[in-house]
Amino acid sequence: MESVLALRGLVLLRDSVEWEGRSLLKALIKKAALGGEQVHILGCEVSEEEFRAGFDSSINSRLVYYDLFRDPLNWAQTGEALPGGPLGALQAMCERTDPGPVTVALDSLSWLLLRLPCAALCQALCAMSRQHACRGGGPAAEQLCVLGLLHRELHGPGPMGALSSLAQAEVTLSGTAGQASAHMLRRRPRQRPTLETLWFSVLPDLSLDLQGGPPLESQPHPDPHTPQVDPASHLTFNLHLSKREREAKDSLTLPFQFSSEKQQALLRPGPSPATSRIFYEPDAFDDLDPEDPDGDLDV
Amino acid sequence: MAAVATCGTGAGSTGSMVAAGSKNNVTSFQRRGPRASGSDSSYSRLVSIAGTRPSVRNGQLLVSTGLPALDQLLGGGLAVGTVLLIEEDKYNIYSSLLFKYFLAEGIINGHTLLVASAKEDPADILQELPAPLLDDNVKKDFDEDACNHKTAESNIKMKIAWRYQLLPKMEAGPVSSSRFGHYYDVSKKMPQELIEASKWHGFFFPEKSSSTLNIEPCSLTHGYIKLLQFIQNIIYEEGFDGSNPQKKQKNILRIGIQNLGSPLWGDDLCCTENGNSRSLTKFLYVLRGLLRTSLSACMITMPTHLIQNKAIISRVTNLSDTVVGLESFIGSERETNPLYKDYHGLIHIRQIPRLNNLIYDVSDVKDLAFKLKRKLFTIEWVQDNYLRQERNIYPPGFSYLLKQKDSAWGEGSLQHSTFLMSFLAKATAFASRLVRHSEPLEQTGSGRALQAAGPRLWRDGRRQEAPGLLVTPP
Repeated sequence: MESVLALRGLVLLRDSVEWEGRSLLKALIKKAALGGEQVHILGCEVSEEEFRAGFDSSINSRLVYYDLFRDPLNWAQTGEALPGGPLGALQAMCERTDPGPVTVALDSLSWLLLRLPCAALCQALCAMSRQHACRGGGPAAEQLCVLGLLHRELHGPGPMGALSSLAQAEVTLSGTAGQASAHMLRRRPRQRPTLETLWFSVLPDLSLDLQGGPPLESQPHPDPHTPQVDPASHLTFNLHLSKREREAKDSLTLPFQFSSEKQQALLRPGPSPATSRIFYEPDAFDDLDPEDPDGDLDV
Repeated sequence: MAAVATCGTGAGSTGSMVAAGSKNNVTSFQRRGPRASGSDSSYSRLVSIAGTRPSVRNGQLLVSTGLPALDQLLGGGLAVGTVLLIEEDKYNIYSSLLFKYFLAEGIINGHTLLVASAKEDPADILQELPAPLLDDNVKKDFDEDACNHKTAESNIKMKIAWRYQLLPKMEAGPVSSSRFGHYYDVSKKMPQELIEASKWHGFFFPEKSSSTLNIEPCSLTHGYIKLLQFIQNIIYEEGFDGSNPQKKQKNILRIGIQNLGSPLWGDDLCCTENGNSRSLTKFLYVLRGLLRTSLSACMITMPTHLIQNKAIISRVTNLSDTVVGLESFIGSERETNPLYKDYHGLIHIRQIPRLNNLIYDVSDVKDLAFKLKRKLFTIEWVQDNYLRQERNIYPPGFSYLLKQKDSAWGEGSLQHSTFLMSFLAKATAFASRLVRHSEPLEQTGSGRALQAAGPRLWRDGRRQEAPGLLVTPP
């Protein structure tokens, strides 16, 4: 539960057509606002009224909203639009944040990715956290949280991969049979990335309800992990020896080692001639090469 | 008495007395060296730069990459004037570690550093370098590591697969205290005084980029231009290309560039397939030209797993000198494979340069895996795991027959010996088939197989085959 609240840095909320992420985004915004942080929202995809619906008035008064939906290209030429287009809006948001814990919500990052060059957007996102750190004096890792809503189907693997490499956490939304799940992949600077799965639902008042696991009637089959591959199982020779075989092997003297038993065997007049003799009478059609009795040297 | 008194006071005074004595009787055998006389000696000094050594194969000047295991794989080290490209692993954990090893090695050897990054401030990168391991601590830790690791397995010498024991082993630990490569402890940070005593230049791209210019499609992106100018300035000002005749000692410039090709450099190579693909390749070309004319070595880490256009990766590989790829097992299906259970990832040596040479210096071993232990980064041959257990290399049926003591195929029987001999003979005959075909065949009565197998002995002035191997018993 605490891990959801402790998201810092760039967090990508990757949703899809079946599992939308805006409600989760709003729930996280509400949590941040209740926690006393400043919240700045860049709204591009939905209108301000629609976004603010669902928040109660106390939270609504705390949200600082930058609207790019109504007039993204600034055709109306009113003075209140942010200069510089979407990039300028991002930079302006950066400058207007006060030092302290801040949550910035980008609704949506997909909209920005479709209109801005990907490299410029990546640089702007990194610059946000850095400038906030410069101003605030504290390490940006704990202070700033940028929540970006990303629609998975809209982008190819290139931009998604580039943004993933920058993000500190990625939350992928999916689910089964009416129960949404969030797969969180956290990258910490020098540690292994961790992956955890949370089952949640967003209640009508935009609070987050975390459940322990999936509902009973729809047990999702676990990720088909490849079963322990035993490379020694399908071989034509025997790599595993039973105890008796191992004893027999260990007590074996090798042909190239001249041991005392071999010496004795050679000094003795010879093994009993009754055993181990091959009698063979070559017939007329036999063409025996004495050096190659089996005739299978391929020369 | 006075002499005794002065002898008793201390070693220094006795030393000076002895030295005074020797100065008085100047022998004819005086050591003529740079310190002997005040005038410039006519002998040329052996210019040796700290932290470098000539390669044993072609005398190329080498620097250490910071990882002695990697040095061994690259043929002794990284050649001065070349580029080492590291293809990053997916989560950039191990490649950034190699980057830090490279920089730490530069600090220990006293080289000048140039750190370029678009993501982190170079000052922050330098604060997080690993601390070097001192020799006595290292020996102790390695011994205890070795004890834990090698159980009864290694004490059993291999009986049947004995030829595998003759393979060269990878040196996993500091068996000898070498001044060329050092070992680092990742859990500790490099002491602050060492970092401050070192000379370094940082290039942090977001600070240096002034404005967004209009870039034509095929030219270098803004970030790359700035970086190249910065490197060129440093090389020229500090005299690494020999432009200022230096009175002081020559030194190596270690250039480390992090995450080259990522979108943070302004390059959209990773984002689209049809982006400005010439920019990165031009950068590498110009960079290599700068490096070849100066005493510098460069390590670049590049997120090649993000590059969408695979043709660019091959172009980049051709433009770099040494290319090493890292593949970590985190999150991949290989994590569950028991073959790889002791390792953290695979390391692929994709390219090794041919510098002033006609042949490559590639090692024969292809399946290399790395493991980050507590204090060591080790690289091993994956099959080492298998060969630690003894393997039976004989054909399936024979081993079973060998084990039967009382059967007709027991030891000392004719079948046993004949089978063994014919098996070995066929093996050698098959292997030497190629050699045999190139020799003119003598049509002697004994058959062609005789010519290859067995040592030839001269006895009684006539050539005779070594008896016993392929001659039928009378």
